[in-house]
Amino acid sequence: MSAPYFLEHIWLIPLFPLAGAALMLFFGRRLPKPAISTICVGSVLVSFIYALGAAVTLCSWPAESRSFEKILFQWISAGAYHTSAGLLGHFTADWGFLLDPLSVVMVLIVTGVGLLIHIYSVGYMAHEGGYYRFFGYMNLFMFSMLMLVLANNLLLLFVGWEGVGTCSYLLIGFYFHRKSASDAGKKAFIVNRIGDAGFLLGIFLISATLGTIRFTEIPAALLAGHFAIGAGVLTAATLLLFVGATGKSAQIPLYVWLPDAMEGPTPVSALIHAATMVTAGVYMVVRNNGLFRMAPFTMEVVAVIGAATALYAATMGLVQNDIKKVLAYSTISQLGYMFLACGVGAFAAGIFHVMTHAFFKALLFLGAGSVIHAMSGEQDMRKMGALFRKIPVTYRTMLVATLAIAGMPPLAGFFSKDEILGRTFGVNHLLWFVGWITAGLTAFYMFRLLFLTFHGHSRVSHEAEHHLHESPSTMTVPLMILALLSIVGGWVGIGGRFEKFLDPVVGRGAAVTEGAMAPTTEYTLMLASVIVGLAGIAVAWQMYIRNTALPGRIAASCGALYRLVYNKYYVDEIYDAVFVNRTKDLANTLWAFDAGVIDGAGVNGVGFLTRLIARISMWGDTWIVDGSVRVSSRLVWVLSFPVRLLQTGLLQSYLLVMVVGILGLFGYYIFLFRH
Amino acid sequence: MTLPILLFFVFAGIAVGGALSLIFAREPIHSALALILVMVALAVLYLLMGAGFISAVQIIVYAGAIMVLFVFVIMLLNAGVENRTQHSIMARWLGIPLAVFLIGDLAYWMARGAHALPLAERSGSLAAGPVSTQDLSLHLFQSYLFPFEITSILILIAVLGAVVLARREP
Amino acid sequence: MPLRADMMADLCRIAPELILCVFGILLVALEPFVPSSSKRALGWLAFSGSLVAIASLWIVARHPGPAYGGLIQVDNFSLFFHGIILGSVAVVILGSINYLCEERLQRGEYYALVLFAAAGMGVLAGAGELITSFLGLEMSSISTYILAAFRRDARKSNESALKYFILGSFATAFFLYGIAMTYGATGTTRFTGIAQALSISGPTLLAVLGLGMMLVGLGFKVVIAPFQIYAPDVYEGAPTPVTALLASAPKVAAFALMLRIFYVAFGPVQHIWFWAIWISAVLTMCAGNFAALLQTNVKRMLAYSSIAHAGYILVAFAASTELGIAAVLFYLAAYALMKIGAFTVITHVGGRGERHLELSDYAGLAKKQPAIAACFTLFLLSLLGLPATGGFMGKFYAFQAGLDSRIIWLVVIAALNSIVGAYYYLRVILTMYFREPAGESGPDAGLGSEIEWMPQPVAASIWVVLIIAALGTLYLGIFPSRVMEFALRSAASLR
Repeated sequence: MSAPYFLEHIWLIPLFPLAGAALMLFFGRRLPKPAISTICVGSVLVSFIYALGAAVTLCSWPAESRSFEKILFQWISAGAYHTSAGLLGHFTADWGFLLDPLSVVMVLIVTGVGLLIHIYSVGYMAHEGGYYRFFGYMNLFMFSMLMLVLANNLLLLFVGWEGVGTCSYLLIGFYFHRKSASDAGKKAFIVNRIGDAGFLLGIFLISATLGTIRFTEIPAALLAGHFAIGAGVLTAATLLLFVGATGKSAQIPLYVWLPDAMEGPTPVSALIHAATMVTAGVYMVVRNNGLFRMAPFTMEVVAVIGAATALYAATMGLVQNDIKKVLAYSTISQLGYMFLACGVGAFAAGIFHVMTHAFFKALLFLGAGSVIHAMSGEQDMRKMGALFRKIPVTYRTMLVATLAIAGMPPLAGFFSKDEILGRTFGVNHLLWFVGWITAGLTAFYMFRLLFLTFHGHSRVSHEAEHHLHESPSTMTVPLMILALLSIVGGWVGIGGRFEKFLDPVVGRGAAVTEGAMAPTTEYTLMLASVIVGLAGIAVAWQMYIRNTALPGRIAASCGALYRLVYNKYYVDEIYDAVFVNRTKDLANTLWAFDAGVIDGAGVNGVGFLTRLIARISMWGDTWIVDGSVRVSSRLVWVLSFPVRLLQTGLLQSYLLVMVVGILGLFGYYIFLFRH
Repeated sequence: MTLPILLFFVFAGIAVGGALSLIFAREPIHSALALILVMVALAVLYLLMGAGFISAVQIIVYAGAIMVLFVFVIMLLNAGVENRTQHSIMARWLGIPLAVFLIGDLAYWMARGAHALPLAERSGSLAAGPVSTQDLSLHLFQSYLFPFEITSILILIAVLGAVVLARREP
Repeated sequence: MPLRADMMADLCRIAPELILCVFGILLVALEPFVPSSSKRALGWLAFSGSLVAIASLWIVARHPGPAYGGLIQVDNFSLFFHGIILGSVAVVILGSINYLCEERLQRGEYYALVLFAAAGMGVLAGAGELITSFLGLEMSSISTYILAAFRRDARKSNESALKYFILGSFATAFFLYGIAMTYGATGTTRFTGIAQALSISGPTLLAVLGLGMMLVGLGFKVVIAPFQIYAPDVYEGAPTPVTALLASAPKVAAFALMLRIFYVAFGPVQHIWFWAIWISAVLTMCAGNFAALLQTNVKRMLAYSSIAHAGYILVAFAASTELGIAAVLFYLAAYALMKIGAFTVITHVGGRGERHLELSDYAGLAKKQPAIAACFTLFLLSLLGLPATGGFMGKFYAFQAGLDSRIIWLVVIAALNSIVGAYYYLRVILTMYFREPAGESGPDAGLGSEIEWMPQPVAASIWVVLIIAALGTLYLGIFPSRVMEFALRSAASLR
């Protein structure tokens, strides 16, 4: 019996973008721009249609049999051998595709969001050089990413994994005339290689232990091997896999490449460094959830690293002035949430957040791109302000996304974040607290971004002001669609429907923690996260709407905004009047802190403290992380010194080295022989 | 000490001495003459091992043909005194002691290794007793015909090399 | 005298070598009669000779078994190596034709020497006995010494050849000495005979010393530490197509001999040589990778890289299992393809007189000749070990074999080394794609007409080489099963 058409031809999904990329490589230079856009966007559209078809077909099946494997042809076979666990391994890896609820979700995210970003790029890149190159790389990326999520074994997943890394590297360095861009590309690639080495070793260890790397066979092999929970070899293997995940998904300590990766064109940041590629690490962990469940220690590590990254990156996001850098740190922070979810066993919640995050973060990046486009390339938020009227569509859609990421109900971010925090609370209160604080910080810095960019008074230079314009419809339509998704995307999770959908993949464990929490606790937690989000917004409001409206600049604003700002300033005058006797001599910088002490909510003080922390962590980032990179390059130089010392080019020294080698060899043989 | 062993040490000494003076001589012609000495001494050593044919070939081919060619070439080219380089101090102060050590080391362990072997194993199938020319030719043209033919190609390669490296540019 | 059936069969078993030698002699004989304007035809004759030799592998495959009383062994193992060697040689000849025209070195002797060297390597791959293998080794070595000196007017070429010759003779002398000792210890020079004698007597001191000495000679040929020291100078100085040859076929052939000596002849005393290989592997990888880090000359950098790759191959070698041997075989096939491809790109970009070998010469190559840059990127990524390339599968099997044999630390060191490798391969890709070409700063910068240096148009023969190497690299990366199965069968035939 042959499977339905879309499932039987599932391998075509990645193939379309590959064909597009190949066309670009060979003929791209000679094709006119409209043809390039048609081919490249079209190929992703066709993939999306096929993905949709496959998804619908699969979902029409009964829930427990929703899994389909299509093996195109055998790739590697290494014959039968005995694994260390005593299993008879017959190691094979195929070019095979696996479609189950998990990959359905991922494939739809990748093709759907990818399609929107491709459409957006048509407008965004219209005036850039290397149009064909850009779309060629983008299509190649789509191919690799689809291979990654559709792979039926670890090794094929690794192929996609490396492919997306390479494309990311090529696209980060797209503006290669900027040295910083090509350096950033290189940094991304090399940092990722460190993770990849761990990943590969993990794959080897799994194949040597279980005798298979096929996802559908791993559970059976785990059962057959009678592994104890927390068996050393499984812990080692999962830790190695997680090392790979920290590289690709920018977690501590390998996150350093992602902020620099913002050197690439903005659609690239949206597609690769927000919506899809960076979530590959989460996907990989969820894909191997059976293994991770067997290694509680690894789970703890994953949870702690995830929570720490979430908080750490969020504090750094507080002081960034580059609009894309804020989003980059925010992405790292949100990825931390996803790993936190995985670490506490809430794999479905992690994937749920991957999905909602893809919607609103892609939207934020594309919105930021639209702002940058409107501002003729300016990325510094200090040189923006009051843009909401000039680019209303961008503003409205960005507002939706910001509310979503801040976790405001009933937007998408609320549901997924709440799910994660709720699950975390059930496992560890401290981790929950970290996540909760981070939620507040997230709301704060995202609204800071929004206020600095769109509100307040205009700090736009005259030249940029002159060119200020709303983006073309190829850019705004994707924004609107994503905004819609950011609103309704979370609704699929109501009543645990999303979780139930993923049950066949992440099933058993999910049921364990479920019901452990009383409904009242659940609602309290929900309320708590909404409150902390609101508090963050309030702090941002205090600091970036009130504080900036200093005397002398009020006139620059007008209308409703003028009154608003004026009133705020009036409130500040009251503070001043009340405390003037004691704070008269205080420096302007301390003013915020002082006002905060007096302020009943204490919000200004919190803001100051978080900024302080953020400064410190930025300092750590500069000196410790970058410093260690410098030290390692110095180390390489030192290590290569003996080699260069011997490589004199003189025959005599070469002979000498050989004689020393021969003596060593004989010494060894004779030593061995005597013993 | 029997006579063959005494003779062995005498001619081995001559061979080593010749080889050393070959290296250290600064006049090319001296080197060539030292090489002849080495070849002749080796021929005697072969003879001592009962390989009369090889010994004769050694003298005819090496000492007779090749070395005459060498001497002619040196005379025709009128090669002067060799220049000494003063490079690589490391090679001199570290290399020479190390080389001496290597040779001593090898000699010591080989001597020990040879003593460890029973007499029967010390002699292989080929070296059992004095080898007649007939035995040798049977080996060479029957069981080892293939390597023999390869050698001819090897010589052809060497000729080609000489042509390539020495040919005048057109 | 009519040929007897068994003689006929023996001739069939050495058919590739016979064909290569016949074509080699033909080239030398025809050389004076071909006018210098059409010497190029000699290159095509040599190429067709190598193709005929490849075709003759079908005849060889029909006559498995020992030839000339076991001096030559025809089995899957020797067939596999013949395939790699002859393929490499054919591709190298193709890549040389244009180069020799450019350098005005178009001579029949060049091709004849390449063919003779190939015949020597074929003997190495099939040898079942030490004397025969020594002669094969000498055949390939002497030919390559001469080839390295082929650019007589270039000082670097002369220097390279002289170094190669002197150090090579030194190493070969050790190899010969090792043969003598092994013979003294076991009374035979046949691999199977040595194995028999050793399994009875156990590892005697003389045999162990013999093995050590042979390892010196072999280590020199396969370029492993501490005998790798000559390689960068020689590879850099030799004409680039010759470097492509040096880095591929002789190394492959020497590995064949090394496998036979270590696994067949000295198989019974595996524990004796295991740690020597282990240490050598670590040294080789580190020496290659760390020295390559700071190179700005791309040709020299690739020389170091080929040292590093010998180290990865040793990881599989140390595994001491059939999977390990098969991994060595597979790795060698992938390695030969990508190395020849990479050096062919260098040949092309280097231009007349090999003036453009520096990293800065590769700046902006992606804009000037995107297809060449794409091919080079593929080869570099394969050398780096990115999935879906032959280089990745080679590393994969090698590490898999290592882990299977529980030599975990060696695999970990190799994995770390491959990260270091990423750095310098990437630098070249980065330069090609992300750097603007600098103005001409070569010797004729003063001419003024040449503001920006352009590589010459790509010759058709270069295209063919690059396409073969690129497709082969991808094939091994995407469909490795068939080759690996053959490698496993070859490994089984060795035991």
